[in-house]
Amino acid sequence: MTTATQTFSRQGASGTDLSPSEREEHAMQAFAQNFGAYAALNLEACIHCGMCADACHFYIATEDPKYTPILKAEPFKQAFRRESGAFAPFFKLLGLKSKVTVDQLEEWQELLFDSCNLCGRCSLICPMGIEVAELIEIGRRGMAEAGLAPKALAERAQHQAKTGQPEESVRPYPEVLTDIGRDHNVEIPLDRDSADIMVCLPRTDLEQNPESVAAMARILNSVGADYTFRSDALIAENYGYYAGSTGLQKKITQRVVDQAEKIGASLVLVPECGHAYTALRWQAADIIGEELPFRVRHITEYLAELLADGKLKLGKVNGDSFAFHDPCQLVRKGGIMDAPRELMQAMGVDLREMENKKGFSFCCGGGGGVNDLESARPLRHRAQELKLREIDDTGARRFLTSCSDCRVAFNDAGEHFNWDKKTESLVELVAANIKE
Amino acid sequence: MTLLEFARGPMLHFALIVFVFGVLWRLVSVSLLGWRKSRAEARNPTGKAITGGAIAVGNRSWPHPEFLKRTAFGEAVGYGYHIGLFAIVLLGAPHVIFWKNLFGISATWWPTIPGGIISVISIVTIFLMLIATIRRYMHPPLRRISNFDDWFSLAILYALMITGVLAVFGLGGRYEIILAVHIISFNVLLIWFPFGKLMHAFYIFPSRFITGYKHEKKGAAS
Amino acid sequence: MSINNRKERPTIGQIMDENGVGRRRFLKYCAGITALMAMPPGMTAAFAQQLRAARRPTIIYMPFQECTGCLESLTRSFAPTLESLIFETISLDYNHTLQAAAGHAAEEARHEAMQEAWGEYILICDGSIPTSMNGIYGTSAGHSFVDQLHEAAEGAAAIVAVGVCASFGGVGAAYPNPTGAVGISDIIKDKPIINVPGCPPIPEVMTGTLVSFLASGVPDLDKYLRPKAFFGNTIHDRCYRRRFYDMGLFAESFDDEGARNGWCLYKLGCRGPTTYNACATIKWNGGTSWPVEAGHGCLGCSEPDFWDQGGFYEPVTSKLFNDTGQIAAGAVAGVAVGAAAALAANRRKKKLSGAADKETSS
Repeated sequence: MTTATQTFSRQGASGTDLSPSEREEHAMQAFAQNFGAYAALNLEACIHCGMCADACHFYIATEDPKYTPILKAEPFKQAFRRESGAFAPFFKLLGLKSKVTVDQLEEWQELLFDSCNLCGRCSLICPMGIEVAELIEIGRRGMAEAGLAPKALAERAQHQAKTGQPEESVRPYPEVLTDIGRDHNVEIPLDRDSADIMVCLPRTDLEQNPESVAAMARILNSVGADYTFRSDALIAENYGYYAGSTGLQKKITQRVVDQAEKIGASLVLVPECGHAYTALRWQAADIIGEELPFRVRHITEYLAELLADGKLKLGKVNGDSFAFHDPCQLVRKGGIMDAPRELMQAMGVDLREMENKKGFSFCCGGGGGVNDLESARPLRHRAQELKLREIDDTGARRFLTSCSDCRVAFNDAGEHFNWDKKTESLVELVAANIKE
Repeated sequence: MTLLEFARGPMLHFALIVFVFGVLWRLVSVSLLGWRKSRAEARNPTGKAITGGAIAVGNRSWPHPEFLKRTAFGEAVGYGYHIGLFAIVLLGAPHVIFWKNLFGISATWWPTIPGGIISVISIVTIFLMLIATIRRYMHPPLRRISNFDDWFSLAILYALMITGVLAVFGLGGRYEIILAVHIISFNVLLIWFPFGKLMHAFYIFPSRFITGYKHEKKGAAS
Repeated sequence: MSINNRKERPTIGQIMDENGVGRRRFLKYCAGITALMAMPPGMTAAFAQQLRAARRPTIIYMPFQECTGCLESLTRSFAPTLESLIFETISLDYNHTLQAAAGHAAEEARHEAMQEAWGEYILICDGSIPTSMNGIYGTSAGHSFVDQLHEAAEGAAAIVAVGVCASFGGVGAAYPNPTGAVGISDIIKDKPIINVPGCPPIPEVMTGTLVSFLASGVPDLDKYLRPKAFFGNTIHDRCYRRRFYDMGLFAESFDDEGARNGWCLYKLGCRGPTTYNACATIKWNGGTSWPVEAGHGCLGCSEPDFWDQGGFYEPVTSKLFNDTGQIAAGAVAGVAVGAAAALAANRRKKKLSGAADKETSS
């Protein structure tokens, strides 16, 4: 009998109904693939100090010990100790570590998906230098293979692997894109046969924030970038990453790589999206098994480069005070620390930094696929309360970020808490202040 | 054979063999599980990453200021008793004599702290250990993740500390028995060491270094 | 020697009177003995009374595998003391070193004395008892020491095992103990035994124990059957150099500055902390000095197996094993087993991974 408190679905990567023992076996497969030396070191080094809980906004908001980050990795740790640890045969023989059961996996679904944004703050606090967030990613892989990833994420991952977009859209996205160009009077290069730069788009922007799409195109046009969008690899998000399915993540990534190769691009630009950067810049080469034939840059770091080279000139923003949210995957995990601030500085933005900023910023609460989980909404709101208060405490009037999923999260939280600020896009601000 | 002869004779010998055997077994078996070099385009060159790793070995020892308010107490207590233990074990005269004899070295440069100060440090250390133990039980995340390993490792430390203090103050019965139990406790520590969390003494260096290295390669926060 | 009728024997009190030892002097002596044995002062009068009333007891002194050092210590006195006077009052009816007779006559005299005082004589033993090969390593008068001990112990009221050899086996029992040497209490199980160990024991400790036994029977004994009055504290607890130990001031070598300053000899192998004896308080040669005071660490000579506790110049916490490469072998084995474990793990990993994709994390 499971003790999971959230409802969960029994669908996942496989899409078919598996027997419990098959689920256990598949989970074990995914875990086994990750029994490398670094994962082992991470698992072995834990001294049960519990400090990771003090970094996790889910624990801080609820004081519920089950949200202790390292606890989320427990099924993986158990499997490792039983199969690959130094004393694995003894653990097995003496029954000191039992096989990971399907009940355990079901119990862990809410820990690995609903209450984790993969934000990586826990990895920063760990005194033993354990990459806790990566252990949780591996935990998700086991769940996905066992068909125990949350329905929303699993379905979207499957759909995106098959079609290139997470869900059916009312109209095909290439059409939406063309319309945006027309509606905002901006040229949108689509499906050029060759270009130096290939650009992807967040589907949330395509659907909800068309001005952001237009803004990015406007900036790229103004600097004369040799770029194009490709219908077959339009969407930046990678739901395979969220769902924890390595296979689906690979398929989705491969599509981007294929298209970029086809047009001979030397650079793939990741739009205002967080995990897309992680998936493409840091994980893609390893997941497809070879070095990427192109560079990967986030739009903010690309623009900052242009700014530094003098190819982009920006005017001053009128004296409003801004707070800026550092998206986890870009800043803390991605290394894009200074680019957004260079852009803001060039625009004379009166930046009011939060108490936890840059690499230490709290997650928006929506990352890691949590935005897509209806079941996680109440918990997410509790965690987001901390963040909203922190933003308010800066005393800033306006609020900026550079990730579309963060905007979704903040908009939803803002609605729930009747927040007085709108979440704006940094790229839109840049576009509005280009000096010709 | 008296208990003291057994403790510092065959049992100590056995414990040292098990310690060396177990530690190497554990370290080697982990390190040979396969390393993957990342194929991603790094932000920073290898040299900078190595420096980053080396820095991480040091600065993970204390939480970043953003985390300090929530973690300072636990950290301070933990450090307190660790430093106390190291001072007692590495600078207490009877222990220095023990190490020199064990390794057959002369090391006339090895300093010692007067016994009175060691006694004070011992009492403070036991007090801090008690706080840490109580905290492990009372603080919900700690209680939730603690297992046999955590409690047993603490128990061995208590046995060592208490028998040590009793021996120095001449309490608790015949000195040679207390001394024997003290040495036996140390032997149990050696034997248990490779199989539990005490291995963090070895893991701490590669773990911090490699994570720091990987983060620095990406330019990520470290 | 002629047979002495026990009933006709004078009491110690009578002997005192005959030799002109006044009451005051006798009481002073008793006060001294009771103080030495840490008895309450009020006991002095009772002790004196009992001692005066005690009849001149028969003492059979049997030497076994010994060096005679204990007897030398027992009979040593710088000047005639009251102890030696008392000693002369006892009827030492058998002692190889001191007696005039020899051979069959001596043995006959012993048997006569034993018979005459059957159940009441005191048997003093020194030297260990060799037991290997049926005890053939020690014989006297045609019998093994083992047999002699059994025979002599049969009618004894109590046995006093003098010296560490008789108490625990001593030097004879040191590794590899070729003669199978053991102490008296390892063989005789049905008689009260008092161990008075030392190599040799302090003279006053031996006579004090004897006198105490005469006056009030077997004294309080520790777990090694040693009188607590003399063996109740460690040398360390009574050592005059203790404050140097507590301050961490040690002599590093003989004749260095520390040694000349009289600092603690712990680093030079002093067994004080684990040795129970009276040397630090009663001292030797009538209170002249004792090993630590003379600048050499205590050897621990009143403890069992004191010869086998490691080098005399190694501290009491030093390792007591001889590693002939076992630790290094353990290290090599650890690496080998670790590698094998990793190999097995990697193979198992391949099997468990199934047909799924390669890992993405490093």
